[in-house]
Amino acid sequence: MNPLLIRVLLTIGLLVLGLGAYWLANRMIVYRAGRKHNGLEGTIAGKPAVLYFTMEGCVPCKTTQRPALEKLSALVGSQVQIIEVDVVAKPELAESWGVLSVPTTFIIDSLGRPRRVNHGVALAEKLLNQLEQVTGRKLVSSEARETVEIHVTTSGMD
Amino acid sequence: MTALPQVDHTAIRTNQAVIIGLNLLAFILDLPVLVGVTGLVMLLGTLFKRPGFGFIYQKILGPAGFLRPNLVEDNPEPHRFAQGFGSVFLLAGALSLTLGSNLLGWTLVWVVIALAALNLFGGFCVGCAMYYWLNRMNVPGFVKSPLPGTVPGMRPGREEK
Repeated sequence: MNPLLIRVLLTIGLLVLGLGAYWLANRMIVYRAGRKHNGLEGTIAGKPAVLYFTMEGCVPCKTTQRPALEKLSALVGSQVQIIEVDVVAKPELAESWGVLSVPTTFIIDSLGRPRRVNHGVALAEKLLNQLEQVTGRKLVSSEARETVEIHVTTSGMD
Repeated sequence: MTALPQVDHTAIRTNQAVIIGLNLLAFILDLPVLVGVTGLVMLLGTLFKRPGFGFIYQKILGPAGFLRPNLVEDNPEPHRFAQGFGSVFLLAGALSLTLGSNLLGWTLVWVVIALAALNLFGGFCVGCAMYYWLNRMNVPGFVKSPLPGTVPGMRPGREEK
């Protein structure tokens, strides 16, 4: 076989392996969080949720993640609960969920099981897609996705 | 707490992307010299206290509007250490390849690719984590401590626009 082709195939193989390892690591974080998670008082049973870890002084949280969550909230209304946790105020909770940086968001299904994790900013569309995958149903119509106003306020962050 | 300097993480990430790209190209085309050049640029960047391939962002991609600065309050020293560490790996890899130790040489190159990719896509800088580890062990020269509220090596969330 052509040595160049062998190297290309090896490269593709190793890249796939790396992506697989990354995917596996994320699955492990979600699995570990599912086994250990606790301390989410005030959550409504039977309703999917977005668990959002943040901290004061996290600028991407204010400028991007919060507006994304506000947009999501406007899209899905009361179908999904959004729970915000300050990692400085509740370090044990952040640790038990395996949070390494902020913002981090978890998608939790209606049985309270964490199903997806996003390290860094996750936009509303991504969160909505994940929620729909986890719940197995459409949460908003296609028209609603396009017509909803995007709120960019950061009020209530601090 | 004293004010932290601002580190442009776009420059760092561009540097990582170029390092990954050049090393992949070197592997595919079997070009040990490209590994050596990449390692040398990284070493020079470390000595001049900047990302080795940061100039591509500063001179081309930034002015052209493709990339925007992402200034983050962070310690620059761990990033320099990480880059220097990577350059040593690549120079050792290039030397091994030149001397005919292909397996060792390309393994070292792939270690650098993997760690740069982990930093670029996963936000975890292994070299920085090692720096903070050495700091905890009170090794002379490793004077910076991890930022409050962050895991050592993870990209900090604090940033200034």
